[in-house]
Amino acid sequence: MNMQVSKYFFFLLPIVLLFATSCKKTIIEETVYDEVIYQLDTLPVYSSNLEKDREKSDIQFISILYADLFGKAIAGNITGELSELKLSFGDKVTLNQMIVSAFINDPDIKIPDNQQMRDDPEKFVTDIYRKFYLRNPTAYEKYYLVKLINEDPELTVEHFYTAFALSNEYSFY
Amino acid sequence: MNRRKFIKKASLLTAGTLAAPYILPSGRLFAATGSRKVNHVIFVLFAGGIRNQESVKKQYLANQGLPTEGNVMPNILSGAEPGANLVYQPWNPVLSNPLQKSATLFPEMRYKQGPTGHYNGHTVAMTGNYTETGLNLNIKPEYPTVFEYYRKHSDPARSALNAWWMSEGLGPYPSLNYSRHPDYGSLYGANYMRPATTIGNLGQEYLSTAKDYQPDDVSRINMLRNFLDSNFANQSGPVSGIANNDEDRERIRSFVKGLLSGSNPIEWPTPTGSAQGLTGDLINIGAAWKVMEEFQPELMVINTFNLDVCHSNFSQYINFLHRADHGVGWLWNKIQGPEGAALGLKDDTVMILMPEHGRNLDPNNVSDNNGLSAYDHTSDANSRQIFSLIAGPPSVIRQNEVIGAGSVPVGESIDIIPTIAELLGFRDQIPSGMLPGRVLHEAMV
Repeated sequence: MNMQVSKYFFFLLPIVLLFATSCKKTIIEETVYDEVIYQLDTLPVYSSNLEKDREKSDIQFISILYADLFGKAIAGNITGELSELKLSFGDKVTLNQMIVSAFINDPDIKIPDNQQMRDDPEKFVTDIYRKFYLRNPTAYEKYYLVKLINEDPELTVEHFYTAFALSNEYSFY
Repeated sequence: MNRRKFIKKASLLTAGTLAAPYILPSGRLFAATGSRKVNHVIFVLFAGGIRNQESVKKQYLANQGLPTEGNVMPNILSGAEPGANLVYQPWNPVLSNPLQKSATLFPEMRYKQGPTGHYNGHTVAMTGNYTETGLNLNIKPEYPTVFEYYRKHSDPARSALNAWWMSEGLGPYPSLNYSRHPDYGSLYGANYMRPATTIGNLGQEYLSTAKDYQPDDVSRINMLRNFLDSNFANQSGPVSGIANNDEDRERIRSFVKGLLSGSNPIEWPTPTGSAQGLTGDLINIGAAWKVMEEFQPELMVINTFNLDVCHSNFSQYINFLHRADHGVGWLWNKIQGPEGAALGLKDDTVMILMPEHGRNLDPNNVSDNNGLSAYDHTSDANSRQIFSLIAGPPSVIRQNEVIGAGSVPVGESIDIIPTIAELLGFRDQIPSGMLPGRVLHEAMV
């Protein structure tokens, strides 16, 4: 029931915002939709990754990635420039990897530190699934990743954030 | 039957039984791996719309009401350069002998069907099939590209590191690295780059701070990513884009990082090697050489595009034509010089040049600062006239030959892909009916 409410909220919010700001004709509905969703924090939207069957466009991917890593909406000119950059290279995974690692290298990035991850691995895993995938981890996913964190002291938050950002599921909605 | 005969017959029977499932539709036991004529083919799509008048016919300004004729492509074509009324800045040729001396020239080829649009022309040249499809930014070509034929039908299979599409200009052109054909697609596509963007200002701004991860970090990230991907039961197909394996991807990432940081500096194909006089076309050619140097791809398609300025500025069109010619000469010089020899490219590379289409016979209403008329391309007969030059080692390509004339055109734009397939030895493996063009055997020894 809560999930149903979330979904209605998810779809109605952009419409409400569209009316509220109806004098601004330059707003593109889909862009508003992405930005609004990713400014809301940690609300699971999907009950399963099976619900994700549409690939994000370059603009969607970049906007969402930026919001996930910096905690704020991306500026329009950066979106345009990064979209052009993505278009210029055929191997999207390689280019995404370079963009992600450049973002992660940015001092303004907002990610947990390694100690926070190790203090409460279960919370870290749940939070990262909600942030990147907008869903809760399955019991197996949580068990496996918590076990990895506990068994590998060299595993870092940066490894997780990079892997999630480059994963196939993150490219779909 | 004695024991020896029994063993012999049984062995033959067993061998036949084992081999039968592997007999190809062509009747051969295995794919014809030994039939390739060279191991590298570079297809330079000399694009942007080039008229035969200013290229192979060497008429220079003769159609502008001035008496001066001459060859503005001295690296590619034989013939003296214009001696007067220069509207371009001449650069000394890179090659001591024009490429034509090492090549077969088809001066009168035809782009027979479909609109003479740049994207159509590129699509026809790279798929070997005429198309009526207009520009659509979101749709891949209907027919497989040359990269897909090459990667799917070469034996053994080649990785995407062996196939590169390098373009000047974005728009729809990045989509030409693979098609939407159900039997081919991204699995067999080429790596793609538009260097002026990837390693230009935008790349510098957003990629140059990308971290250089240690192998242990890469290993952990890949391990996590593989776990995440294994739990994503997506039914709508893989993520868009060409797929390299982890090892190749790391090589490509490191290569791009080297170009961005300057640790792997690019030499520009200008007379001084500096950025003076650099055009987008020359950036593309310079970066293409870096790719060849790094990966020695077996199949590469490079385009030029700056020549499209001819819609409004004929003088600049001549200038860019001259510079693009310089770039092609520079690239051939690299391939045939000591660097190419060290990489195994010398005398094992065929370079094919062809414009995607021509331009109209009659000018439009625009004049440039020199009072010279500009030309569009709206599918008249003149805009369907193109040329091709196929250069390579004397053991493979007939040298200094000219095939066809205005009254007897030979060759079509759809013939280049079958010709590449023949040179790289996978022509027989392509299913019949896929390629309507023919092999330009006239160019081969």
